[in-house]
Amino acid sequence: MAKYILTFSKTGTICYTSHLDMMKMFKRVFKRAGIKQSYSQGFNPHPKMTFAQPLSLGYWGLGELLEFETEEDYGADNIKNILAPLMPEGIVITDCKEAEPSKKTLAAKTEAAEYIIAVPLHEKIDMTSSDIYDKYMGQEKILTYKKQKKKKELAEVDIKPMIRDLSFVVEEETLFVTAYLDSGSTSNLSPELVITTLIECLGLDTERSEVQVMRRKMVFAE
Amino acid sequence: MRIDKELDNMLKKVEKPARYIGGEVNSIKKDPEKVSVRMGFAFPDTYEIGMSYMGLQILYNILNKNDDIYCERVFAPAMDMEELMRECGRELFTLETFTPVKELDILGFTLQYELSYTNVLNMLQLGNIPLKSCDRGEEHPVIIAGGPCAYNPEPLADFIDVFLIGDGEELLEQVCIAKKDTSSKEEFLKKISAYNGVYVPSFYDVEYNEDGTVKAYNKVWDGAPDRVKRAVISDLDKAEFPVNNIVPFIDTVHDRSVVETFRGCTRGCRFCQAGMIYRPVRERKKETVRRLAEEQIKNTGHDELSLLSLSTSDHSCFEPMALDLMKMCKEQNVALSLPSLRLDSFSFKVLDEIQGYRKSGLTFAPEAGSQRLRDIINKNITEEDIYGAVEQAIGLGWETIKLYFMAGLPGETYEDLDGIGKIAKNIIDINFRVRGRKGGRFRVTASVSNFVPKAHTPFQWAAQDTPEQFIDKHNYLTKQLHIKGVTFNYHETKTSVLEAVFARGDRRVGKALEKAHQLGCKFDGWTEHYNDELWQQVFAETNTDIAFYNYRERSYDEILPWDIIDPLVTREFLMRENEKAKAAQTTADCRQGCAGCGINKHTECFKGAELPEVKHG
Repeated sequence: MAKYILTFSKTGTICYTSHLDMMKMFKRVFKRAGIKQSYSQGFNPHPKMTFAQPLSLGYWGLGELLEFETEEDYGADNIKNILAPLMPEGIVITDCKEAEPSKKTLAAKTEAAEYIIAVPLHEKIDMTSSDIYDKYMGQEKILTYKKQKKKKELAEVDIKPMIRDLSFVVEEETLFVTAYLDSGSTSNLSPELVITTLIECLGLDTERSEVQVMRRKMVFAE
Repeated sequence: MRIDKELDNMLKKVEKPARYIGGEVNSIKKDPEKVSVRMGFAFPDTYEIGMSYMGLQILYNILNKNDDIYCERVFAPAMDMEELMRECGRELFTLETFTPVKELDILGFTLQYELSYTNVLNMLQLGNIPLKSCDRGEEHPVIIAGGPCAYNPEPLADFIDVFLIGDGEELLEQVCIAKKDTSSKEEFLKKISAYNGVYVPSFYDVEYNEDGTVKAYNKVWDGAPDRVKRAVISDLDKAEFPVNNIVPFIDTVHDRSVVETFRGCTRGCRFCQAGMIYRPVRERKKETVRRLAEEQIKNTGHDELSLLSLSTSDHSCFEPMALDLMKMCKEQNVALSLPSLRLDSFSFKVLDEIQGYRKSGLTFAPEAGSQRLRDIINKNITEEDIYGAVEQAIGLGWETIKLYFMAGLPGETYEDLDGIGKIAKNIIDINFRVRGRKGGRFRVTASVSNFVPKAHTPFQWAAQDTPEQFIDKHNYLTKQLHIKGVTFNYHETKTSVLEAVFARGDRRVGKALEKAHQLGCKFDGWTEHYNDELWQQVFAETNTDIAFYNYRERSYDEILPWDIIDPLVTREFLMRENEKAKAAQTTADCRQGCAGCGINKHTECFKGAELPEVKHG
């Protein structure tokens, strides 16, 4: 029995596969590689494997993490070398290391995540980066609607406290936003809410489908 | 793969965008500049359906093994994607390289069901390719089509340049190579029409009698064959079969490893087109099946394996093969799925073992409710067979029994329909008898489909029931099957009518197809997309006489539109079988003696099978 953490990037058209598609893809890659994953017990055994956080459909990810257990000790470097050539285009394994012994899963330890959001501008924007920051973050509250976990109803929330940091760069016809947001089970802010409130606040006519989102990294509690 | 912004924006707006991105494990990347022939393999339905079709994987593998050919995949975009494509003027593209299909050398459609025909036209239009062969020039790809529905190619004759009839393993590659070796479309069509299995409709002009029946097929070019013989691969065991199947990212209808164990069927059910056009039985050796299965599982990472054939248990080495595969699958944590088993004691042992405590339903296809009618259709299954198997199944813990029947079979009476109710009731009673008064959670589902006469079967001359007859029968059955524990489903009548028109239509129904396409009919096989009002308008405006195509019995003297295709099973055999049907006489399985269908004049029966000698009559 051994436990590893795989780091990989997901870029290009493969970003249009979902979280569950990725789970299935990894399960099959392990099988093709001949690496025996540990399975849960019970009537419906499934491999012990979890992503630190699901990556939304359409997002790119540079530092995605997969935690998994194997029946045998294969060696972290060895696993990386075996898996790398089997990955579909767009998935690149950047690292594999043995997981530190811990009762908490990566998912439980996730605190925050950093995203880069590219918002194309149809018209030249007459504001500097700090103007944009002041206008958006200067709001006393950033109110929007969020689906409640249990009730499945929309409720008004203030997302400002969940924004850890924001910075803006205007480059030619694109507004780049670096957003450092709460992520994980305790407090979680989806970049989607930042995108809609930002577009509204700045009065942009950019459509959601034009916006690109990339998760650069995740931050974990010690 | 990097794509342009416009496509990227579209993918952000549609459902299941992964349908359109390709890049799956084992999909093939080639430099299009370095091949001589670029072919698009088009499935006229969505990605999830097309990717479950094994024929695509077989042919994709064969073509791409040839360094001079690049075969890419094309599927029908779903409605939401189509709308965006039309808005932006984005043409239909291949999944591998996002190339507009009109830039390919050959675009080939697989015709698996008649209700996908409007999608064929829609895909041509989305590709900005003129629909009709006569409107296309050298600058357009050659449009080809194959698959079971190509055995009556006529409804699509105006739109398709070349039909490929029969086994595609050798033929399709030869056709692609011929494209490279010829310099004009005409030269190409003439060259390939010498191959068995190639039908070029523009080489024939159809003349009609006053009553609307076919008078003659007149050749426009003397070099065209009198009849087009289907292509046959004689040795299935040596035929190419993929071990590097494409593994979809998203869920598809069937997402598993599949090995074809044999082609053809010996049972001779008289309604069954597959049972006629895939003759004779040709087997893969069990060692080959095992090797292919192992390699596929290794190369795909699939956790399910299924066997493909028309009747799994009929393989000459089925028992040892099943035991061997069971063992292999168990060792590798792979679920084995054995469809269409004949339910004898061996099958039960196997099923009990592979399904364990999670038992799926058991399915029987008596097809007809009485022995008389089962004799008419030559469906060799008795009620005693079913009851015996059901009793055993209940004892082993199965709780769901599915029954398949057809309504509207030739010679059917209401007494035969009563039989359907009786069978369902008897099965419910067996359960009470075996498991006691309460009977547990036991359920019987009886599904009734509507008989659609198909080309090249003994029933190709038969009349189909009218919608009124079908509806009366469905209503009658609804009453008969109002039994506690029984669920009754029946198939929509309207689409069965449509299917029948195109299953036995001539060239003139092509006009209806074109009209239907203009009015926006597509995905006709999908209940939620089928639009009956539009189709009624289509038939009215094109003066298509449904009664002529569906409701009349044809005479043996009549030239049938699909007679231009020679399935290698003789017309005399089909007539003989039809006459025997009228007398409710059965024909034995041809393993027990040759039924004289004529296929053995062209190729060896039971090639690869380990069988005792079969006498040919």
